[in-house]
Amino acid sequence: MRVEILEVLEGHFGKDKDITVDSHMMDDLGGDEFDIVDVFVQIESKLGISIPEEETFDIMTVSALCEVVDRHVQSD
Amino acid sequence: MILGAGGGFMYVKHLQSENEILTLNNAKLNDAVEQQQAVIEQQLRDIETKTEINKQLSENNAKLTADLNLANEKFNKVNASGERRDVGALAVAKPKSIERIEGKREQQRARCFEIAQGSPLTEEELNATKKSQINAECTSIANPNYVPY
Repeated sequence: MRVEILEVLEGHFGKDKDITVDSHMMDDLGGDEFDIVDVFVQIESKLGISIPEEETFDIMTVSALCEVVDRHVQSD
Repeated sequence: MILGAGGGFMYVKHLQSENEILTLNNAKLNDAVEQQQAVIEQQLRDIETKTEINKQLSENNAKLTADLNLANEKFNKVNASGERRDVGALAVAKPKSIERIEGKREQQRARCFEIAQGSPLTEEELNATKKSQINAECTSIANPNYVPY
């Protein structure tokens, strides 16, 4: 997982959370749908990328989040 | 003597006439007092009604304020870094995502009304134990087996 993504997730959900690629942002980290949108906005800002909203729909796990972010970091 | 008696008679007649007028006036005054009392009683009843309405408005206002605070807490909650989430700003940055979430919440609210009106819970609702599975709008009635964690 990218350090920047982990930093955003820890900053958002808390460093006390055991955040891994298998973490579910709602079930394991206690977030809601708005938190996931918020996390994407923060990651976009931190990495200077832009991810089309459609690609972020239904993303719940950290692994899926990393995948879509990686795709745009490489392409941007 | 006759003149004196005539004068007395006239005086008595005058007094009787005055007395009749005073009696009539007194009756009118009594009517007026009764009318005023009725008006005052009506005003007192109006005041009671208004007080009751004010009390109900205050109670409703307190409930709405509590709901608003809860909604603010829910929508604009504070993250682990102490930053308050601004759903309005998120809606500007990611309008489709927020619209999608709101659409889902709207469906959940509609389901809440169905359940409140007696609709039986589905297997999915009964078996929901994870946050991503619950109806966030009325978890207590929609997902009885969900234990917040």
